[in-house]
Amino acid sequence: MIKSLPAGAQAPPATSQQRQHGWLRRALSGYALLVYAFLYLPIVVLVVFSFTRDEFGVRWTGFTLEWYIRLFNNPRLMGAAVNSLVVGLISTFVATLLGTLIALAMERYRFRGRSGVDGLLYLPIVMPEIVMAVALLAFLALVFDLINALTGQMLRRSLVTVTIGHIAFSISFVAVVVRASLKGFDRRIEEAAADLGANSWQIFWRITFPLILPGIIGGGLLAFTLSLDDFIISLFLSGPGTSLLPVEVYNRVRRAITPEINAISTIMLLLSITLVVLSQLAQRRR
Amino acid sequence: MLEQTHARRDRRNLIALLTPGMLWLLLFFALPLVIILLYSFMTNGPRGAVIWQPTLENYRTLFTQTIYVNAYMRSIRISLETTLICLLLGYPLALFIVRQPAHWRTFLLFLVLIPFWTNFLVRIYAWQIILANNGIINTGLGALGFAPMPLLNTEGATLLGLVYGELPFMVLPLYAALARFDFTLLEAAADLGANRWQAFWRIMVPQTMPGIVAGSVLVFIPTLGQFVVAELLGGAKVDYLGNLIQRLFLRSNPVNWPLGSALAVAMMIILLALIFWYFRVTREEQR
Amino acid sequence: MTPFRSLFCLLLLLPLLVACGSEPTTAPPPPALEATDSTGLEDGVDRAQLASELYFYNWGDFIDMDTLAQFEAEYGVRVIYDLYDSNEDMIAQVRTGNSGYDIVVPSDYAVQMLIEEGLLQPLELERLDNLRHIDPDYLNTYFDPGNRYSVPYMFGLTGIVYNREFFPEGVESWAALFDPAQLEAIRGRFSMLDDERETPGAALKYLGYSYNTTEPEALQQAQELLITQKPFLAAYNSADVNRKMASGEYVIAHSWSGSAMQARLGLEGEFSGNPAINFVIPQEGGAIWMDNLAILSESANAYTAHVFINFLLRPEIAAQNADYVGYITPNEAAIPLMSEEVQALYAAGFAPDDALLTRLEWIERTEATAVFSDLWTVVKGE
Repeated sequence: MIKSLPAGAQAPPATSQQRQHGWLRRALSGYALLVYAFLYLPIVVLVVFSFTRDEFGVRWTGFTLEWYIRLFNNPRLMGAAVNSLVVGLISTFVATLLGTLIALAMERYRFRGRSGVDGLLYLPIVMPEIVMAVALLAFLALVFDLINALTGQMLRRSLVTVTIGHIAFSISFVAVVVRASLKGFDRRIEEAAADLGANSWQIFWRITFPLILPGIIGGGLLAFTLSLDDFIISLFLSGPGTSLLPVEVYNRVRRAITPEINAISTIMLLLSITLVVLSQLAQRRR
Repeated sequence: MLEQTHARRDRRNLIALLTPGMLWLLLFFALPLVIILLYSFMTNGPRGAVIWQPTLENYRTLFTQTIYVNAYMRSIRISLETTLICLLLGYPLALFIVRQPAHWRTFLLFLVLIPFWTNFLVRIYAWQIILANNGIINTGLGALGFAPMPLLNTEGATLLGLVYGELPFMVLPLYAALARFDFTLLEAAADLGANRWQAFWRIMVPQTMPGIVAGSVLVFIPTLGQFVVAELLGGAKVDYLGNLIQRLFLRSNPVNWPLGSALAVAMMIILLALIFWYFRVTREEQR
Repeated sequence: MTPFRSLFCLLLLLPLLVACGSEPTTAPPPPALEATDSTGLEDGVDRAQLASELYFYNWGDFIDMDTLAQFEAEYGVRVIYDLYDSNEDMIAQVRTGNSGYDIVVPSDYAVQMLIEEGLLQPLELERLDNLRHIDPDYLNTYFDPGNRYSVPYMFGLTGIVYNREFFPEGVESWAALFDPAQLEAIRGRFSMLDDERETPGAALKYLGYSYNTTEPEALQQAQELLITQKPFLAAYNSADVNRKMASGEYVIAHSWSGSAMQARLGLEGEFSGNPAINFVIPQEGGAIWMDNLAILSESANAYTAHVFINFLLRPEIAAQNADYVGYITPNEAAIPLMSEEVQALYAAGFAPDDALLTRLEWIERTEATAVFSDLWTVVKGE
């Protein structure tokens, strides 16, 4: 019973319902296809126009790889891309860990001050990014001054401060998604496991964790996406010479953008797609 | 005795779970926020310096001047529209994904996310390519002999950009909620004589409400503070709250941090009220 | 469950892959210093006193990156370069007193603000011997008398950029952007700067007032004019007017002279120009502004910063940068060294002559001009 449950929750229950409502399924598939088309239209445009000769990137005037060559000769953009990935991965890892722990605490325990914690957890989501950015900037300035007064050491904004900021706003997003997957979680399964002699460590890893894993993955992906995408906080918290990709792109998009931007986006996309394909292959082998 | 050790263990667990994340949030979020909150009650000095002289002037400006009130209304309206459209696009999509065989689901979920692993500004720029006067759609229309129409720099373009930018934040929590939904319940409902529509509204929607709420919150809120989309697709012609706050903090001369802070704080309070109400509703529904 | 875990492992592997691939692109080691005795100082620079890195915070599209490479090659100092988009963004960064930058490029009024807030350190003008190349007209300005804190880098004008294919007769007046009768033909195909002083200022000029007037009556008229104009407007844009003019997306725009020059000649390595682009200061008048090199108080590399500023003031370097960005160099000795194309355009109205100078105004910021923020908020809020 206990062993079969996680697997049971993963596999979709194939039922006669599906066969009965064939047209409904087809309509749903068609709709989903349209939504995917909407999602991918700009992406296709982006990729296609990374090969255009047109310097404005808006017209198709012939095929060229020039923008890719330029990109690889552009240490600024490449460096910014690497910075973004490093910050994204570190902040995703930390935020997913901390956010999941908080979500577990919030869904599992009733305690005094719980609603206060709840509020604090939701505030970063509510907060306009720009306010968070300015607030963190002011705060860091104070902290740096303090450290300077105490130790004589003058600290400076860097990739570390950006990562701290990214974690600060990602924790809440992870917690929200994981909590959604914990809500309605049937605790009786755990109780049954306990009755059957499982200790709490076993219960967590064998039952709870598998069941909330989709939530954790979802939260982690969300955090990663948010971090890669974040512009304002990155702008304010990164130090000199360590800008992240969005900041670098903003500087270009607002001024004279070229298909170089399309090119780097295409490469980032290829990386993501490779990731998915590899994961699918790994999955099939199991 | 046993009860006591149990309680103690619970307490220890709770502290272990809660402390690291909460410390982080208190230190790197709440504390900086307190500074901003204080600012909202301070006086704006010449040259944009904050003078530590308590006043309610900022809040009075906010609630009496029509430009600020209008910006609020406009922002709330477009955020609601965005949330609704995201829900209409996202729910069927999440449902579709959940109903696929297990090994496809991860893949399909990734397909939703992949476009968002390019930079947000780049995606907005891609929409510019599509919608511009000499962009793809208008070039196509011209080739077919139709008159080009202004698509970029309209409110429709802003809305499109917002929906596009926020959709995955709707799909992810909906997916998480629907993945746990027991679809045999629908069958049971059908056996009991409910039609599909009733089964959907009475069973599926309430059961997946946490996902709907989470998704709506995740979409509504960043939309309310957004300013780049309005700038790049809306032509920076109309101010939303985000534009106002950004300008007050950074662009106006002199900057006015106290008023900007007050704007942000007021916005936050509205959103908080909304969220508390939302969760109360869903919690009651679940009982 | 395991596929998810493997996915996570892959996610974690990603930066390693990318990091490996990018290793060769890291900066080359600084070239070996000349074998000259460091006390020899044949060019007056004591290389032993130079820092290894210099942090330079500048406007986007505002320097030819090749000149930075030249500086690195010559002095072995690596220049780390970041961009900003508005004075206010830059000030917000440096106001903490701990931004990490050595040199910034504030505009006229921003120099004043930075000085008042104690964020700049006084220059040692005797170390800037290339200052002698600067046209005295542009020294000793209202915002920094005696150039105690800043030296001019580039200046520009604000006027109208237009496409001659669309305006074969040319454009002479702000009416082209404000007269409702003329706006119908360019609906959705022109932009105004997204700037709370420039744009109301243009309206004020059209109405016959000064950029710096704060009379309620004049401001009211300007506000109404801008609101009338708004439905016809494509966008408020101060970012990529150059690109949108060159590509034909806009046919006319409220613009800075350098941005217009970039639309005309193209931006090297970014896009090529459109020969039909022209720039004009309307008969009612336009604005002039100056961006300046200054050293932040927080900088510990003042010696190196002076060497760098002096380098940028060299006529050949100033010419190279002005050629690239299309704004106007105040460096008299540089102008003959510039490309003939740019010199011709300077003469054709992209740079001021004595007659034009009388029609230009500096935009000043005082406590009274804070009213422009409110006006702009109202216009945007309509």
